[in-house]
Amino acid sequence: MPRKVRVSVDLDICVGNAMCETYAPKVFVLNDDRQSTVADPNADTFENIMEAAQDCPVSAITVIDDETGESLFP
Amino acid sequence: MVTAISDEMFSGEAITDPYSYYGRIRDEDPVHWNEKYELWVITRHDDLVWMTRHHELFSSEFWSRDKRSPYPAIDESDLGLYQFMREFFMKWFIQHDRPVHTDQRKVVHKWFNPASMETWRPMVQQVVKDMLDEADEDGRMDVMKDFATPLPLFVIAQMMGMPFEDRKFIRSMAEKLLFIGRGEADRMQPLTDGIKELMEYLSPLVAQKVDLPVDENDLLSVLASGEKTGALTRDEVIADAILLLLAGHETTINLICNGTLAFTQHPDQWKLLKEAPFQDPDTVVRATEECLRYDPPVKSIQRIASEDVEMGGKLLKEGDRIRWFMSSANRDPAKHENPDTFDISRWPNTHVAFGSGIHHCLGATLARMEAQEAFKALAGRYDSISLETDEYEYQPSVTFRSLKSLPVSLK
Ligand code: HEM
Ligand code: HEM
Ligand code: SF4
Repeated sequence: MPRKVRVSVDLDICVGNAMCETYAPKVFVLNDDRQSTVADPNADTFENIMEAAQDCPVSAITVIDDETGESLFP
Repeated sequence: MVTAISDEMFSGEAITDPYSYYGRIRDEDPVHWNEKYELWVITRHDDLVWMTRHHELFSSEFWSRDKRSPYPAIDESDLGLYQFMREFFMKWFIQHDRPVHTDQRKVVHKWFNPASMETWRPMVQQVVKDMLDEADEDGRMDVMKDFATPLPLFVIAQMMGMPFEDRKFIRSMAEKLLFIGRGEADRMQPLTDGIKELMEYLSPLVAQKVDLPVDENDLLSVLASGEKTGALTRDEVIADAILLLLAGHETTINLICNGTLAFTQHPDQWKLLKEAPFQDPDTVVRATEECLRYDPPVKSIQRIASEDVEMGGKLLKEGDRIRWFMSSANRDPAKHENPDTFDISRWPNTHVAFGSGIHHCLGATLARMEAQEAFKALAGRYDSISLETDEYEYQPSVTFRSLKSLPVSLK
């Protein structure tokens, strides 16, 4: 069973750097303002999602374990 | 009498007080055609963000696409050198659009992420401490020459695993490259000399690292790994190494100098910073962001229109040269309350000092950390920092907001 997560992007912080989209394009999709929004949080591997969160230059991405509610990032 | 907007961006007025000059353009003609330099001047926060986020409309490849002559003018005899320079800078990923840009940025992007930058904080603190210990002996310093210039360079050289003995050399190169944002007509010679010498210095170092396994703690080694994966050629590895060595140079220098100047001019804000519980990270973080907003190190950045685009009721034509100004965007009343007030408790602070979109500054986390540690150390050490002179001057650049020097006495 792959790990299920909840993912969100803080639009007050996101600078539209779009690196998250390059790591996990099915999860992170840029909206009309070219900021990142979450399409389907489980459409990519856990590793790719975590990589996107860690490498977001402004730490705008939050990842939470869907079952336990544990914060995985930041 | 109403006077027309002057298009002389290098006038004393525009250089000394860009906030009035570009602020007026923002208020009266926010998307302004500058007849003299034949370029669009973009001044509003919202327009700037929109433009930087639409990289498919506004290209970053201005070194390869802009065939017009350099400005301000350079000596006729130096046009060959200018050509060398253009060809060199075209190798940078900063100068590319997608998809090449993404592949090249990825090689080093992870290295600069917030968590890995944090591991370098103690090293930065040590470098800051060493330099201030030295200044203490004299009770004064030129913030520019003695503090702000060596700090970013020593930090990045350490990250690149460069031998300690080489710092003097690196610093002398850096001084030549400081001509980047300047207007002197003979600026090309020191620039090209500096770049050539750095290329010679780096070539054997890179050649060594390409053959060794990647050392994740060594930025030069990480960069060299891009050659193995095919994302970069050898020339590009070297060009990018020079970029990273120097990208934080003029910029971080300006952040530290302009921020220090702002504190000397606003004693109440200096007091706020000093009186904050010393370890309170929030105050220092917010103060740094306000310095970035209030007097941004980079005044403007270029683009070239990739197709015809309408903006603010004007038609920007394919191939048009464009400059967007954070100097005016960061003081845009539509975005910031009391934009001309220096207020270190301002939060959130959505300034655009690092740009936005896919080219958003790669070194932002590093620059922030350096400035935070610099301001924290100054506030922790000194009761007062006062200017030794009332006459301070800025470099005649449209790109950088650079003081020529900032002599202060320390108490
Ligand atoms: C390794 C660091 C850098 C070097 C060696 C460098 C070098 C140069 C040189 C030689 C020019 C041409 C200046 C002239 O025509 O006199 C230039 C222009 C420019 N650079 Fe850089 N640059 C560096 C980093 C950056 C960074 C990080 C930025 C963005 C923040 C930047 C933004 C610009 C812009 C916007 C111009 C247009 C210049 C103008 O004509 O005013 N540069 N740079
Ligand atoms: C206060 C200090 C700094 C300021 C204000 C600043 C500002 C900027 C700005 C405005 C851009 C966007 C350029 C564009 O959109 O064309 C940029 C890009 C860049 N900066 Fe910085 N910068 C600073 C420090 C640094 C440092 C310390 C480094 C590296 C060690 C760095 C490396 C870069 C690179 C590589 C890019 C190009 C990113 C890309 O094209 O994807 N900068 N910077
Ligand atoms: S990487 Fe971060 S800043 Fe960039 S688009 Fe994604 S969430 Fe936004």
